[in-house]
Amino acid sequence: MTSPSDVKQLIQDTRRYEFADGLRDLQLAIFFVTSGAAAWLVFQPFWITLIGDLVERYGRGAAWLGILVLFIAPLAVIGMLGLMNFVRKRWLWRESGMVKASRWVVPRRVTVLSFVIIVAGLAFAVLARRQGWVEDSFILRMLWVATGWSFGYTLIAMGRELDLPRYIWLGVIGGALSTILLFLDLTFAQVALVFSLTWGLLLSASGIFTLRRAIAAQDAGE
Amino acid sequence: MSDDVRNLINIDRLIHEPSRLAIMAVLSACENADFTYLLNATGLTKGNLSAHLSKLEDAGYVKIVKRFKGKYPNTLCSCTASGRRAFDAYWKQYSALAERLKQ
Repeated sequence: MTSPSDVKQLIQDTRRYEFADGLRDLQLAIFFVTSGAAAWLVFQPFWITLIGDLVERYGRGAAWLGILVLFIAPLAVIGMLGLMNFVRKRWLWRESGMVKASRWVVPRRVTVLSFVIIVAGLAFAVLARRQGWVEDSFILRMLWVATGWSFGYTLIAMGRELDLPRYIWLGVIGGALSTILLFLDLTFAQVALVFSLTWGLLLSASGIFTLRRAIAAQDAGE
Repeated sequence: MSDDVRNLINIDRLIHEPSRLAIMAVLSACENADFTYLLNATGLTKGNLSAHLSKLEDAGYVKIVKRFKGKYPNTLCSCTASGRRAFDAYWKQYSALAERLKQ
């Protein structure tokens, strides 16, 4: 237990523990799907008409219903967090013990660079628009695409840091699929939906596959 | 006295003990871990783990919170800021020394 490689392995195993059952992937998937669906919904004519009718009927207070939609994603994430804790305490981590993961999974420079990617993407889009190379909607599409690149980069960095290849693959595939959105003739709301569904699907597949493997490993150990 | 010998003399002996090194390695990699996880990760017995944790707590390297989850006791352990600093310093010294010995 004293060799540097043993100590490094202990550190690595503990850092990976949070991500070994796939529940984090599922939580992220839920966040993407709910936030994308909410962003799509608020731009839909039927939703705007509905809120308008409600305001006319019940007064300005009804407008809060439109704002409440924005809380769906955070609430879903909190709900999933509660569910994750419950499942881990009662089942997945009952024998192996509980660990609260570090706040910073990746080095700060990765977080800074992922922010820079979004800013650089938007700056490029604005510049391209000023030059007349692209139309206005390109800037809004770039907002999602740059977010996809940024998130993909963070996942790749996380995969390399924790030596978890599935995150490297997720980052590469998600980043590449996000890029396709730039070339599709979609509205802002449609891009939001497609973007979030794409990431949601990728993360769900990764989460379910990992969870199944974790359950199988647990069953084999019992 | 060579730098290597000086480093060896100055190494944190509290952390250098293999079991405590394992405990500190685990706790430095997370916000906190419970007693069960530490038992499984380090492979120590309950008594041994408890004794080593007490020593690390006395040195101010580890914070231990004992609570109940329903009817069952639950011990949460975390690395303090000084514990993290001490482990980082130890790990740097130890890695450098191991590297020199390889050469």
